[in-house]
Amino acid sequence: MGLAPAGWFAVVRLLAIETATAQSAVALTLDRQVQATATRVDRTGHGTFLVPAIEFCLDQAGWFPDDLDAIVVDVGPGLYTGIRVGIATAQGLSAALGIPVVTASSLDAQALAASTGHRHIFSVVDVRRGELAVSTFRPVPGGVVRDSEAELMDPDQLRDVLMSDPGNPLVVGDVPALPDSVLRGQHRVKVGRPRYPAVRAVLEIGMSKLERDNFASEPLTPLYLREPDVNLNWEKLAPEDPWSSGS
Amino acid sequence: MTPLVLAFETSCDETAVAVVKGREVLSSILSSQVDLHARFGGVVPEVAARAHVEAIRPLTHRALVESGVHPADLDAVAATAGPGLVGALLVGHSFAKATAFARQLPFIGVDHMEGHLMAPRIEFDTFQPPAVVLLASGGHSQIIHARDWGEYQLMGETIDDAAGEAFDKLARLLGLGFPGGPEIDRAAEGGDPRAVSFPRAIPDRPYHVSFSGLKTSVSTYLRKTRRSGELPPLADVAASVQEAIVDALVDKTMRAVDDTGVKVLGAGGGVLANRRLRARLEEEAASRGVTLCLPAPALCTDNAAMIGVAAGHWLEKGHISDWAAPVDPGRRL
Ligand SMILES: [Zn+2]
Repeated sequence: MGLAPAGWFAVVRLLAIETATAQSAVALTLDRQVQATATRVDRTGHGTFLVPAIEFCLDQAGWFPDDLDAIVVDVGPGLYTGIRVGIATAQGLSAALGIPVVTASSLDAQALAASTGHRHIFSVVDVRRGELAVSTFRPVPGGVVRDSEAELMDPDQLRDVLMSDPGNPLVVGDVPALPDSVLRGQHRVKVGRPRYPAVRAVLEIGMSKLERDNFASEPLTPLYLREPDVNLNWEKLAPEDPWSSGS
Repeated sequence: MTPLVLAFETSCDETAVAVVKGREVLSSILSSQVDLHARFGGVVPEVAARAHVEAIRPLTHRALVESGVHPADLDAVAATAGPGLVGALLVGHSFAKATAFARQLPFIGVDHMEGHLMAPRIEFDTFQPPAVVLLASGGHSQIIHARDWGEYQLMGETIDDAAGEAFDKLARLLGLGFPGGPEIDRAAEGGDPRAVSFPRAIPDRPYHVSFSGLKTSVSTYLRKTRRSGELPPLADVAASVQEAIVDALVDKTMRAVDDTGVKVLGAGGGVLANRRLRARLEEEAASRGVTLCLPAPALCTDNAAMIGVAAGHWLEKGHISDWAAPVDPGRRL
């Protein structure tokens, strides 16, 4: 199970879990050939969708859970709860089956699936609270190269960076959910697909990592991009102290 | 055959994993986030969810190793399905579901309050329905009439703050830290519970409790005595505050015991770790000839063993959850 030596042409049964956005998706590949996929769009439905979808895909492929050789999971950026549902599910499967698990980023998965010849790709994911996670990519033969780390910005900032981009940018991600003002009057900017991280791209990223790193597991660290939103209550932090300050 | 259950509890700020065989606890471990949340003066949901996702896999490994159980021998996997913080619940629930699915075992989503309610079974053979059960924690204060397992009547609950919440708020007024229950318990040591007589709010429903008025009266009292320089020692005030909360819980609970005529009294929830509350329940139960089934403090506070015990009960009855089962943060017993 699992541990194929480097360079060996193993038949690998890989499961991809993608729950970092409003979309939930699951897919299975047999040696890079997609066997089954299941997708649903529902901002809060990741937890109810995931295991039934994995079961459905396994049934389609005619496999049992312990036929799986490895897992790849999208660790964000995106919706925190969705990301954690995906990671917790991947962790549970990986621990119970004793198989490796590797990570993919939602921004990478969107960019990799974007079909473009020459445009500069802006991959955008909604991370709530009026903020977007954005990375830019350059198309190269056979894929894309990321030329910036994920960055948080609000829609106005995204409009400004698109406007100042010297090339002809292609924006991928959930663009229909952005305010109209972002793209208004930006004639050089093209909106492309996919709208959500493509589960096939997640599979591809996972497979490449597994082959490159000899089927080693990666730490499943969510890409939150910001500190927890803590409503600091100074009254709570500095309790009254009637005994030391009062009498 | 007694079922062997791997159980998870992540409804609030403890990541807890246990292995139980029926009522027997083979391992029960937790990674408490109390220190993490203390600096914020309360549980921060996003901080809790982040900590769960980091802790759950290593903790599961430890719970299995400590139990001496081989994963292949497990009969079911269980997790708290609610009530609780949605982001926190989803971590344990998703991990548990995936574990069950991977090993093709039944999955059981458990009500957190039923977990507390069944926890006395771990230590007490005598804990059998019909019984009255007092459940008091940071999120809940309920008096439940358990006619049978699964047949619960909510007799009374708080009309404002939960008992644990009241302890937290009052601890803050007294200049003590978080969580308030243990802080007040410690501060009250050696204090005179009759030093200050704080008014008790008496809701007009017989088994309900209320704590919001207490906060106001303690606050007013502190302001007045501080101004006049007559502030008594902290131990006396803390003991008096604690007595007011304990009185309310014990009075209503014993009224429920008297009115239902049950001979068994159970209790659970984090507030039941309070020593004064434990002592008062023991006194009152003894004076009535009622059997008190009060678990050790570690089984009163949130833990996964109680979730495993409740799951084992429902597994034996053939109740299992399906793979699409949701968490329900507002779940009611
Ligand atoms: Zn609890």
